[in-house]
Amino acid sequence: MDRRQFLQMLGLVSGAAALSSCGSEKGQKELVSLLVPAEDGIIPGTETWQPSTCCECPAHCGLLTRIRENRPVKLEGNPGHPVNRGSLCLRGQASLWRLYHPQRLQTPLKRQADGRLQAISWAQAFTEISEALQHNRQQGRKNAWLAGRTSGTLGTLIEEFCDTLDIERLAEFEPFSHAALRQSYGLLFDQTDLPRYRVDQTDLLITIGADLLETFLSPVDYTNQASTLAADKKRHWTHLEPHYSLTGANADRRLVLTPGSEGALLLWLLQALVTQGRYRGRWPQALQNVLPTSDLAATASATGLQPEQLQELVTHFVQAKKPLLIVGGVATGHRNGQSVALLGALLQWLTALPWGGLDFSATENYSRVGSLLDLKELSQKLASDRVGVLFVSRCNPVRHSPTALSLNAALSKAHLKVGLTDLTDETTDQMDLILPLAHALETWGDTEPRQGVIGLLQPIASPQHQAHSEGDLLLKLLRQATGKSPAVDWETYLQNNWQKRFNRNQLSQLMKEGYLIEPGPKPSIRLNPSRATKALKNLQLRAPLALPAAVIAPSIRSFDGRSRSLELLSEIPDPLTTISYGNWVAVAPQTAHRLRMRDGGELQIKSADWQSTQPIRSQPGLAIEILTLPMDSLPTPAAGIDPLTGEALRYYEALQLNSTGKLHRLPILAGSPSQQGRGLIPKPIHRQKKHEQDNHGPRASFYPEPQYENYRWAMAIDLQRCVGCSACVASCYIENNVPVVGASDHLAGREMSWLRIEPFYDEQGRVDFLPMLCQHCNYAPCEAVCPVYAAYHNPEGLNVQVYNRCVGTRYCSNNCPYKVRRFNWWQHKSTPPLDQLRNPDLPLRTKGMMEKCTFCLQRIRIAKDRAKDEKRLVQDGEVTTACAQSCPTGAIVFGNLLDKESQIYHLTHSQRAYRVFAELGTEPGVHYLRPE
Amino acid sequence: MQNTSSTEQIEQDVLAAMSWPSRCYLAGIFLAGLVFLGGMALWGRQIALGMGVAGISHPVGWGVYITDFVFWVGIAHSGTLISAVLYIFRAHFRTSFNRAAEAMTIFALMVAGLFPLIHLGRVWLAYFLFPYPNQRQLWVNFRSPLVWDVFAVSTYMLVSLVFFYIGLMPDLAIVARRRPGVVGKIYRLLSLGWIGNSQQWRHYAKLYFFLAAFATPLVASVHSIVSWDFAVSIVPGWHTTIFAPYFVAGAILSGTAMVITLVIPMRRLLRLETYIPIAHIESIAKILLLTSLIVSFAYIVEQGLAFYSGNLFEMEQFRFRALGDYRVLFWIMVSCNSLLPLTLFIGRIRRNLPFLFILSLLVNVGMWLERFVIVVTSLARDFDPYAWGNYTPSLTELGITAGSFGLFFLLFLLFIKILPVLSITELKER
Repeated sequence: MDRRQFLQMLGLVSGAAALSSCGSEKGQKELVSLLVPAEDGIIPGTETWQPSTCCECPAHCGLLTRIRENRPVKLEGNPGHPVNRGSLCLRGQASLWRLYHPQRLQTPLKRQADGRLQAISWAQAFTEISEALQHNRQQGRKNAWLAGRTSGTLGTLIEEFCDTLDIERLAEFEPFSHAALRQSYGLLFDQTDLPRYRVDQTDLLITIGADLLETFLSPVDYTNQASTLAADKKRHWTHLEPHYSLTGANADRRLVLTPGSEGALLLWLLQALVTQGRYRGRWPQALQNVLPTSDLAATASATGLQPEQLQELVTHFVQAKKPLLIVGGVATGHRNGQSVALLGALLQWLTALPWGGLDFSATENYSRVGSLLDLKELSQKLASDRVGVLFVSRCNPVRHSPTALSLNAALSKAHLKVGLTDLTDETTDQMDLILPLAHALETWGDTEPRQGVIGLLQPIASPQHQAHSEGDLLLKLLRQATGKSPAVDWETYLQNNWQKRFNRNQLSQLMKEGYLIEPGPKPSIRLNPSRATKALKNLQLRAPLALPAAVIAPSIRSFDGRSRSLELLSEIPDPLTTISYGNWVAVAPQTAHRLRMRDGGELQIKSADWQSTQPIRSQPGLAIEILTLPMDSLPTPAAGIDPLTGEALRYYEALQLNSTGKLHRLPILAGSPSQQGRGLIPKPIHRQKKHEQDNHGPRASFYPEPQYENYRWAMAIDLQRCVGCSACVASCYIENNVPVVGASDHLAGREMSWLRIEPFYDEQGRVDFLPMLCQHCNYAPCEAVCPVYAAYHNPEGLNVQVYNRCVGTRYCSNNCPYKVRRFNWWQHKSTPPLDQLRNPDLPLRTKGMMEKCTFCLQRIRIAKDRAKDEKRLVQDGEVTTACAQSCPTGAIVFGNLLDKESQIYHLTHSQRAYRVFAELGTEPGVHYLRPE
Repeated sequence: MQNTSSTEQIEQDVLAAMSWPSRCYLAGIFLAGLVFLGGMALWGRQIALGMGVAGISHPVGWGVYITDFVFWVGIAHSGTLISAVLYIFRAHFRTSFNRAAEAMTIFALMVAGLFPLIHLGRVWLAYFLFPYPNQRQLWVNFRSPLVWDVFAVSTYMLVSLVFFYIGLMPDLAIVARRRPGVVGKIYRLLSLGWIGNSQQWRHYAKLYFFLAAFATPLVASVHSIVSWDFAVSIVPGWHTTIFAPYFVAGAILSGTAMVITLVIPMRRLLRLETYIPIAHIESIAKILLLTSLIVSFAYIVEQGLAFYSGNLFEMEQFRFRALGDYRVLFWIMVSCNSLLPLTLFIGRIRRNLPFLFILSLLVNVGMWLERFVIVVTSLARDFDPYAWGNYTPSLTELGITAGSFGLFFLLFLLFIKILPVLSITELKER
């Protein structure tokens, strides 16, 4: 052996030894080897998209689910779906958090004598229930089934289940029951359901209390439709409400009216309109005689509006070709609610029905939903020991029933209370047996959110726990109780039903697209004159509410509170107050000043029979005598029950306000409610002074001009369209594995959101929203100061952050005028199984490094790879960011600025385009379109 | 030439300070060491848990750590100024302070050098900040003032260390001569074979003068570059051209104050009243007064520039400094740095040592606050009003700051027992 050979041998041996000692057994198990054949069709590193339906709220938007390595990692709107047309709200985005929620119920639970819950097997649970069912039936008690709004085949099965086992199927329970509206439509038009309002076609939209953007029927749909109004100068939208909602903030004009006076306003409007030429002919004489009279001055003083404003409303109505008035939300949640709904429906009949503004062929499937009156009845039945087994599925009546109903006490009389749910809530706390329900992404199913729209549910995620779908659960229970069941399992039952209902083409479309449109006949709507006359005769308008009053406002973040347990939604601040975690009450700045209170000061709110203490947040633009109490801040978000309609009362009146002197720390994310004259959102062009429009012209730079070859990625955000709904923020969180850090870090100013919605109020209290994200500047101040090139400008105009190179000086963040960089103050960990909710296309960041918006670099990468395979460049519209994708109003457009045919090129060269802090010479890649 | 007895006297007096330590001294060492170790433990905890244990946040990404860094670099300034600049100008009162001031420079720099590390989010990758050759062709960004910092501070440290050591060599030989046994041998080794012949003295004088001349521009450059950490950014309140001279003056002010803080008790405790006459202390006080006036001028210019700029961001920033949430700190800073030193115009007060001592402490406090106000208020109110937010230091940050003082005093206490605190050879010359 010579020297050479010896060295070669030595190298070989030591190399082999080193290689064999690489890694540990433990580490190797976590690797997904590409050499292993794909099992179950999973190919590591490839994504698949499956259609499904979002069940986070009753709107049931269509979904496309992105699946990586057999796990759903992102939800997007289904582009063709008639409800949401490709976009998805923040709650929909967050419903993945429900799927991976650490506290999801895993097994059936039984309450022990000492109140604790114990896990039991399904067999045990079924036996117990079927025995109780039989026992109570024999004892002459009725068993009852209470569920949230149900549509599609599940409704059929529940019906069959209840019929077979002689269970009373109670009216469905929804906190937003829209009962007053449905009653008036039933009374006047013989339609017991809610129509689809054609906001997209109207040229004058007047909404009274109806919070289209937050919780009214189908928020994504209405947000989308309302954005067409914002984009069109010839169409106008006025919103009337006592408090300050996101809907009001985005209407062309928001008028503040005294709560409870909506009826007076509508009556006056009706009176004024029926004498107008166009409407005189339509208004039956019989009704004219019973229409109560009211005069302008009295109406003005009752509503708190100016007489000119009232007259202007009438003028608008008369001039508009397709006026549409929508009442709802808090406008029907008080003692005049019935009159408001009735007069509203009459006005709609007069003005909107002739042109088809109310589409009763696409009703919202609320006809089985009851009201609090039904709960009251249940409560009485329970109290008189007439209920044996009570099932409560997918709803939370305990939280939403006013204390007057004493539902809690009545519930204890039931002999067996069975809750069906995925996460515990106030209602399941009262249940004897809790059965875990599977997530919508884990089961088969269908929904019919709107007459003629059928959405598909299919098992996309393998069930994590022993949870059952409601269908399987019912079938198994049936088999247990009767010995036979209509189908072996829920999937078969569904298939059988589908075969009966749909033809082959329809079925294949449903499976492929995830939705099916089956237009129903257009019913002709006629006014029932006798009932209308009677109703008008009996019309009693009671006095408006005594001020100061508090409005219990629904929340865009949690709907009626059902999404409260998804922490992501607490992480994203309320768009108007920018508070993320905790409770608060919003008061007018003048009120805060009068009470000598600062944000976070504790306010005692007292009415005759109720009181609460809440930290305050001053809300510019809020009326002085009004307080906004977010539903989530109250243990019971209903002040009482309207005996006429069964709606929950959403007001506390005649309040006494006192400061308790205590101070809470509120995580208010905005440093200032105003833009301090800094022109982040410039004034409309026509209101600008000459010198403000002066362009500084090209600036000399010390550094060479960046050169781009094929791509310069850029974004345009239309502030005219942006409504601040924060869907983009939620989408960004999930797409980019942005850590959710919790309340303590929010109090310390350490939220991690890459994209945020900045509300800026002007002196009149009008708000504009500015989505702020990394601006991807041409001359990025962060890049120059990074000592290690961790912040660097890539050849496509992206300002990229090289995580592994970052040493964490935080200088880049200090030097960023937009303050969009986020530092990892801790090693963020998510509780299993939430750790499975992560996009494998981008790394998780570790403690001590800076991160920020990447313009969804991973999506660009995928599009470029595809284009490269096809030997072409990425085309316009082929790639978009997560935020742009989910935006319900299409306010965000992403694309390649070098492509002169692209939409982004067109938008950035529009007259409305501007860049934030252009005077700093950073030349951002994010262009904003100023509101007009 | 002095007679033998007086030089003997000088040697004895100065070296008396190096005698076996008293209990009081040992307690001081123990205390300083304890505080230092406490600070280190807090740093360890910060590395383990993350920067979240500090109070810094978004938007205030720099806080007490950077304040401490600038403060200690500032303290480090006067050593060179007193030693080198005054040497070149042949200012005789230098002799009373130069050794202590140089030691102070070295120690302050050692402490200052820790803070850029303490403030790093991923300190285990700190070597990324040096341009070392590597296969992945990663390089540092020379556009970033943080890289300039690395060079400025390390150059200053190197030159100061060499300057200190060269000046020390003859004295080390004297100590070696007077100390028996192993200790003497160590000093002999450290004196690099100094025997004090005329050839050595000739070389020594040349080298010392050269190093003094070489170190003088560094006085201006180091703190200028530290100031550019801020001035090169675009943050309102940082982005200003007066920062370099303003920071240099501030550094000299704080350094001079620290010299007074250290020398007055040292003079008393080590019984060096003969060698550090009051007149010399008065001269130092005059430097303090001068730099205080320069700093005050900078304060006025800064506010004036913002006032006349017509720039919303600047104007709001300076309004916020003087009248906003941190106004108390701002006005303490103005009182300590600008108003109180004005009393030094009165000669009697200049010679009042207890007063000077207290004043020097207050100037130190004021200068620390000056850096805090500059660093924090500018970040708290920059461009985007939505992202405004305040900062409160956490206990970890305050603990590490205390630890840095612990380290500084520990080193200084060790110094007065191990090395001659006055330059014996220069005293002999005088």
